[in-house]
Amino acid sequence: MEVTMDPLFLAWSYFRRRKLQQCSDICAKILQDNPYDQSFAVSQCLKTRALTEMVYIDEVEVDQEGIAEMMLDESTIAQVARPGTSLRLPGTSQGGGPTPAVRPMTQSGRPITGFVRPSTQSGRPGTMEQAIKTPRTASTARPVTSASGRFIRLGTASMLTNPEGPFINLSRLNLAKYSQKPNLSRTLFEYIFHHENDVKNALDLAAQATEHAQFKDWWWKVQLGKCYYRLGLYREAEKQFRSALNHQEVVDTYLYLAKVYQRLDQPITALNLFKQGLDHFPSEVTLLTGIARIHEEMNNISSATEYYKDVLKQDNTHVEAIACIGSNHFYTDQPEIALRFYRRLLQMGVYNCQLYNNLGLCCFYAQQYDMTLSSFERALALVGNDEEQADVWYNIGHVAVGIGDLTLAYQCFKLALAFNNDHAEAYNNLAVLELRKGRIEQSKAFLQTAASLAPHMYEPHFNLSILSEKIGDLQSSYTAAQKSEDSFPEHVDTQQLLKQLRQHFSVL
Amino acid sequence: MLSLHESLKCNKLICLPFSWPSEDAMPEVKSIIREVLPKQGQVSMEDVPTMVLCKPKLLPLKSVTLEKLEKMQMEAQEAVKQQELAMKEQSQ
Repeated sequence: MEVTMDPLFLAWSYFRRRKLQQCSDICAKILQDNPYDQSFAVSQCLKTRALTEMVYIDEVEVDQEGIAEMMLDESTIAQVARPGTSLRLPGTSQGGGPTPAVRPMTQSGRPITGFVRPSTQSGRPGTMEQAIKTPRTASTARPVTSASGRFIRLGTASMLTNPEGPFINLSRLNLAKYSQKPNLSRTLFEYIFHHENDVKNALDLAAQATEHAQFKDWWWKVQLGKCYYRLGLYREAEKQFRSALNHQEVVDTYLYLAKVYQRLDQPITALNLFKQGLDHFPSEVTLLTGIARIHEEMNNISSATEYYKDVLKQDNTHVEAIACIGSNHFYTDQPEIALRFYRRLLQMGVYNCQLYNNLGLCCFYAQQYDMTLSSFERALALVGNDEEQADVWYNIGHVAVGIGDLTLAYQCFKLALAFNNDHAEAYNNLAVLELRKGRIEQSKAFLQTAASLAPHMYEPHFNLSILSEKIGDLQSSYTAAQKSEDSFPEHVDTQQLLKQLRQHFSVL
Repeated sequence: MLSLHESLKCNKLICLPFSWPSEDAMPEVKSIIREVLPKQGQVSMEDVPTMVLCKPKLLPLKSVTLEKLEKMQMEAQEAVKQQELAMKEQSQ
């Protein structure tokens, strides 16, 4: 006869090996078979933990701002922030980052970064109009509020897959009873917070539990802060995190608190906080990374790079730091050095479309032509979705322009548009190629499309201005040049064009 | 003190008119050279604004959290789709 393993032990083993689905299945069976056994409570607890782990995401990283939070912001103290004190006016710092003439910009007017996190995915649009427009051009739609965002969608989906309904029925749960049991309450809290995404119930539980612990448990205070943050009550969240820090210094608490300050648009306070944290935890990588990210978001690229280098001194396999320094070298005209950084990432085992695309570009601009096309081939083989494919073809188009094969370039940009019909850069470049062929109307149409898709880029406006000036339409040339000046005030050619046009007008 | 023009005349080196060497770096040599002023070919350069291309785009790498979020969202969408399909089949 076969010896069967104790199901509870097996479930525990599955949990430790992170085979969470199997663990949850076995626990469900135990719960069904012997509801009055002693193993009942244990397996219930285990199943809760397994379900939580399945959807667990690092709360420090998660940050999704909805339209409502952005536009109906109550924490603003001044209409226009002073230079260098706000994350919302990116051009204000004097960091000497590369201009948009060399480094492409994101929608919010920041140079593109070498690494994306959930919070850097889409920048903060400046006006309501832009905010509403954003979802139409970006690949991911911006939610109305962060409470209606990805979390709710994930939560409801996890409900759907379970035909017998939710594992724990929150509305019938006696939160007061569970908050008295310290060993169960934490598991339950994490389940409610991460799996169910029911922040209000989680807040209730945390409030009762912290009361039960006589307001002396830092862990519950941090959880309270997390709930307040999700609900958009930033000042309350700040209070809880501060109080938690008084009980116990923990790196995570510093990170959460800094997140609150970043949301309140107080980057300087966040920087000071990180420095305080570094006093207690010298050379802590996550704190250093936090500082670097803030510098980068404030367009202060040189000091961001300094901090990323500090990060690499502590942890030489930090992907974010390597990628950011690499992209910075690429856009400051040192593709050879960028190539070394990206090769390092390849050595470390990062194997994806983005990396091969970057390697291809670096190889081309560092004149290592033998590797260029094979890198791009690999990038194309590894693409995950249409947007990535469009970007890779767009970059191959640049290589084609570089070697003078304009037919290939034309085809590449067309392909980019076939995969992503909102690729504004491809429209702009296609317009330039069309004009070379002498097709003025086509070129103009492409430029107008590019300008409406990406009003933050100066290139389409500037090109449209030149084109209109050539065909004698001075008025539209002037308006386009003004738009170009708005998005890139330091651009010399735009200024010259404007000056010339003003002279024309004054003569008339 | 010689003017720039005169000092150029004294130089043995044949200088192109558009690349003046700096005055103090020049040795004082007494000889006469011809002044060269090209009359054909590209004599001057006018700065004409040309169309600009958008720049090549390095793709940012994705953080682990973002990848997990995207994966979870994909899976959730798949699950919802399949359940809806199953519901449709049941109702038919």
